[in-house]
Amino acid sequence: MLPRRVLQFLIIYCLFLGLLLALKYGLALSDYVIPAPSGIYQTLLAEYRNYSLATLNTMAVAVIGQILAVLMALGIGIAGRQSTWLGSFIKVAAYNFQAYPIVALAPILFILLGDGFLTRLLIAAMICYFPVLLSVLGIMSKPIDDIEHFYRATGRMRWQLEVKIRTFENLGQLTTVIAGSATLAMAGTIVGEFIAANAGIGYSIRIALYQSDLGKILIALFLIGITIAIYQALLESLGLVVKRAWTGR
Amino acid sequence: MSLAVDTLAFAYPGADVPLFSGVSFRLAEPGFHSFFGPSGVGKTTLARIIAGDIAAFSGEIDAGDLARSLYSHNKERLPGWSGVARHLERVVTPALHGRMAELIAIFGLGECIDSRFDQLSMGQQNRVNLIRYLLQDCDLLIMDESLANVDERTRERIILAIKAMFPQRYFIYISHNVVEVAKFCQDILVFRGRGKQPQTALVRGCDMRREGDFSRAALDATLLEIMNAA
Repeated sequence: MLPRRVLQFLIIYCLFLGLLLALKYGLALSDYVIPAPSGIYQTLLAEYRNYSLATLNTMAVAVIGQILAVLMALGIGIAGRQSTWLGSFIKVAAYNFQAYPIVALAPILFILLGDGFLTRLLIAAMICYFPVLLSVLGIMSKPIDDIEHFYRATGRMRWQLEVKIRTFENLGQLTTVIAGSATLAMAGTIVGEFIAANAGIGYSIRIALYQSDLGKILIALFLIGITIAIYQALLESLGLVVKRAWTGR
Repeated sequence: MSLAVDTLAFAYPGADVPLFSGVSFRLAEPGFHSFFGPSGVGKTTLARIIAGDIAAFSGEIDAGDLARSLYSHNKERLPGWSGVARHLERVVTPALHGRMAELIAIFGLGECIDSRFDQLSMGQQNRVNLIRYLLQDCDLLIMDESLANVDERTRERIILAIKAMFPQRYFIYISHNVVEVAKFCQDILVFRGRGKQPQTALVRGCDMRREGDFSRAALDATLLEIMNAA
């Protein structure tokens, strides 16, 4: 799973780089606009260490933000699964909130909380929270009648059992959603850093943008992509381990 | 103790004509009874009304002392996170574990009882599901195609065992096997073809209780009566 993810990313990245270089040489663009391969390589050697640390910094914020978001989404999704007034309210509120671009709220957070760790964390969590919440709400609201009937008919159904049955039956979908939300968490953190933070790879990209240094941006994109590919592969592997342990298959 | 249904009618929301109307019958004694008829005439719907799963109907149901009714069907599954034996142990009270072991042997499930539910054949799955329902505290158990995909000899053994082990319980057995229904059931509510009035007719079955304990002539007469009623 890990080699496949990394290979997929490398193919896409190389195609992207090839397209840029084709543009450069096809349109005779200067090294200032698109650096030559040797320039990109020099930038890689010069910035590799700093950019790797910045990417890991961003990744750490994204992972913590994603964990927070998943835990919140599971809690609210489980509470909102019932066809009660509260359940309907939670569902409607979730659908309405997710329609609003969270990135647009980022400046408010920076004004209120400054440009430190907490602001980046909140933006990361908020951006990946709503898609996960909607999936969890969808999964938890849908009864698995052919399993649940017996427990309801015999008065054995408890909310814990209901959640366990629905989680078990939708384990593949949940794993996919959680692995997919990793990208959102990373994107959220980078966007936050890009707007006003003082650390992380988004902040590094902002500096590179001010310097109009495409080489640095390409290196940053490479490190972001490879990190997300590895993280997603790890999440998918974890999902498989949980599935094997739980289903015996 | 009896189950009496009087002028029961039901229509699905938005339907132009009711699924059935004027259905009346009385099951006076505990034992094996049946709903029989072609697909789509309302056997399952009637069963679910009696079990209390559907409330929007007209007419009267007098369940008398039948305090608890359960409806089971052949599409039910057990959760897949542990083996069948473990699930059964959890949903059957410890006092009935001896009877559970007996049923597992009679139902021919001894070799596969530690497997997970999805590793079983469809017939085995249906038998496991039936065992867990049989061991619940209920006065009426509706078995909707509960022995589907089970071979004829095993079905016969299971039905006779159920009748011997639970003589005080009402069973309503829904099946499309006319010979089986005629042979083992006491009262058979035959759903007649569309447009016929009344929509149902109650036919007395052979109610076989032991292997070979029935007359061929009586079975033929019951089969004829069911065919005429249908």
